[in-house]
This record gives sequence, structure tokens and C-alpha cells, in this order.
Amino acid sequence: MSNHWWEITILCEPMQEDLVFWRLEEFGCRGTASEYQGDSRLIRGYLPQETSKSLDLAALALWLRQDALSLELPAPLAQWRVLDEEDWASSWKEHWQPQEIGDRFLICPAWLTPPDSDRTIIRLDPGAAFGTGTHATTQLCLESLEMRVTPERKDLIVADVGCGSGILSIGALLLGMGQAYAVDTDPLSVKATAANRDLNHIDPERLIVKKGSVERIPKMVGGQVDGVLCNILAEVIVEMIPDLTEIVKPKGWGILSGILLDQAKPIADILEEYGWIVATLWKHDEWCCFNVRRP
Amino acid sequence: MAKKVVALVKLALPAGKAAATPPVGPALGQHGVNIMAFCKEYNAKTADQAGMVIPVEISVYEDRSFTFTLKTPPASVLIKKEAGIEKGAGEPNVQTVGSITREQLQKIAEIKMPDLNANDIEAAMKIVAGTAKNMGVTISD
Repeated sequence: MSNHWWEITILCEPMQEDLVFWRLEEFGCRGTASEYQGDSRLIRGYLPQETSKSLDLAALALWLRQDALSLELPAPLAQWRVLDEEDWASSWKEHWQPQEIGDRFLICPAWLTPPDSDRTIIRLDPGAAFGTGTHATTQLCLESLEMRVTPERKDLIVADVGCGSGILSIGALLLGMGQAYAVDTDPLSVKATAANRDLNHIDPERLIVKKGSVERIPKMVGGQVDGVLCNILAEVIVEMIPDLTEIVKPKGWGILSGILLDQAKPIADILEEYGWIVATLWKHDEWCCFNVRRP
Repeated sequence: MAKKVVALVKLALPAGKAAATPPVGPALGQHGVNIMAFCKEYNAKTADQAGMVIPVEISVYEDRSFTFTLKTPPASVLIKKEAGIEKGAGEPNVQTVGSITREQLQKIAEIKMPDLNANDIEAAMKIVAGTAKNMGVTISD
């Protein structure tokens, strides 16, 4: 992954915005950001620094000028500079504070000293992975875990599909489950989960994390699991339901989230089609979390 | 009392694929927004439109919370889709890479109408036609 980016800034007439987007996209930018500046639009596009040179950017500026002139619009103002990836990552961290979740958890950023608390503290550095604890779906999953993993059951095994920062696996283990097997297709998430496992002083044999998806779980575990955690997206969960059913023991359970309220009904129908019993559906803002079990 | 909006940011992103990299990171990071939370919500709401570019307008409030509204895809993306082409022309007004009919032009203008600064459909069609021309896409009757 690139650590330095070209930031290309273009000040243009609003009418030229779509055309600027097209030029930037053809040039290799992965999306644009824009905002109003007076009556004009200020558009920003980004490229990994190693993919382009200043001369390429100068050529781009000429194309943008020609585009504007052909539409009888004033010539846009194009500028560029190199941007360090740390510029925005650090600004986000400055605003993240310890946060209580449910009745038992307290999420504390890795770079802060944990406060005195009777709560179970999860220390976390999400890096570029999902799962900071501030999102409604993560909170719903942790609250569901509090209800599900009481009292301590050291003999129970949980799978965490799409583990992100590892927050749910770590939460399950800190509540007293025996072992967690976590998978994610994003290598950055695998790295983040391993780092957060160490940060919370969890034995690597209790939290095993690998790159992959649900189909990797049976080989890692050598059998079925007692419960599954899956906080991804509705579309992905729907695809996974047959595999999720395969990996969970009879009488086992699932906590599924990343699902918008208006997506709940079709997912419930598919879960029931595969023999799951929808025990509860928890809601937070426009999100929901399924607590399901197998007969 | 309503929360104060401190920034209004528009991002054009591939549906279902927002990540903490640019343009999302710099655009929202400077306002202290929870970037991953935004990505998760954006991806959830656009995953069913994979392959399209779906712009989003984000209102950032003084407590760093945010709301967002999805917008219509850029005209260039709709033109490429209607013309059945993957790329536009390198040299506008010189090279032709495809064509769309007036009906297709009107269809794109109708989709774009809510987000264009146009008083009527004719004005919207004129803006879209200008974009098509520069992309090397002609309009046929």
C-alpha cells in the first residue's frame, strides 16, 4: 500500500464537475472528494505517488483546461502536492476516547492509558480495519455476547467471520469463552486482530486468526464451533448462511450484524429456511443484530 | 436544538468499496469523523449497486457525528454504461469512441436532474451532452 499520494486539487465551475470526475477517473484516481468554494466546486482526486510524475499531472491540467474551453466555461485552476498518509490517520485518533458498551465492556484506544473501571476493558488499535467499537453494529454484537456468554464457559469455541480489528473475538474470550477462530479476507484485518490479541494479553492459542472466509473455519477448528460471530454486510451474510449453518454445532448459536433494519426480513426468511431459529432481533439506530440458534 | 453542520463533503466512490484510503481518509479525517463507521454505512447502502460510482454528500456536525445522502452517479459513468464502452476518448473533439441516442441522453438527464443545476430537462440534456462530447461519445437521432 502506498504511503504517499498525489493530491490533485481542481477549482472549477459546478457544470464541469462530472467532466473533471471523468478525467480524474481515466487518469487512475480512485474516487474524488469535492466541496463548494463560493460559487465554484473544489474537487480533489488522489493517486499513489509512484504511479505518476509531475509531467503527467501537468498534462492532466491541460486536458482539464481544454475540456472547460470546449464547453465555453472558464479554465479551471489545477494544483497538486504530495500528501503523507499520516495526515488524516492521526487526526481521527485524536478524537477517539474510551467508551463504555453494554453493561460490561469498556473499549479503550491502544494509545491511551485505560481508566480505572470495574468493566472488562478491550484495548484496541483498529488500524485500517473495521471494528472500533463506536459503530452501532459492533455495539449490538458486544451486547449480544454479554447475554450469550454468561456464565463463563471455557469449553466453548467461537468463530469470528470477517473479524476486522478482532474486537468481537477478543470480547468473547474476555467474557470467558475458551477459544476463538477468526478469519478475514483483508490481510490488514488479520494483522490488526493479531496485534490487538497481543495488546489484550490473550494467548495466541486461544485466538487463532487467518486470512480467509467462512470456508476456512472447519479446517482451522477440526470440527464445528459452538457459536459464530459475523458482523459484515447483509449481502455477504446472505451468501454465507449455508456455510455458517455447516460450521455451527446443533444447539449452537449465531450473532449476525452489519444488517440494516429494512434488510432484516429477507435475512430472517433465509435463516429459517436453513433451520435457524431467530431468538431475538436487536435494533440500534437503523441497524439490527440477529441472535439466532440451531435446534 | 439542531446540531450545527461544520462541513459538507461530497465523495464520488465505487459502490460498496469505501475504505480509509484517499479520498475518504483525507476528506473526513480532517473533520475528525469516524472514517471506518462511514465506510461501513456507505458500503452497506451501496453494495447492491456494485460496479457503479455512487456519490455521497456528507454533513459533518460539530460533535463529529455525520449523516449522508446518496446522489446520482456521475454523468460520465451513465454515458459509458449507455454507450457500452469502458473508456472515453483520450482527445476530445478528435476521437469518437461510441454513441448514444437522444432517448438515452434524455434518460441520463432524467436520472441526473435532481443533482444538476438545471431548470428543465432540456437544460439537463445540454449539460450531459457537453460531457458526452468531451468523452468522445456522439449523440445520434
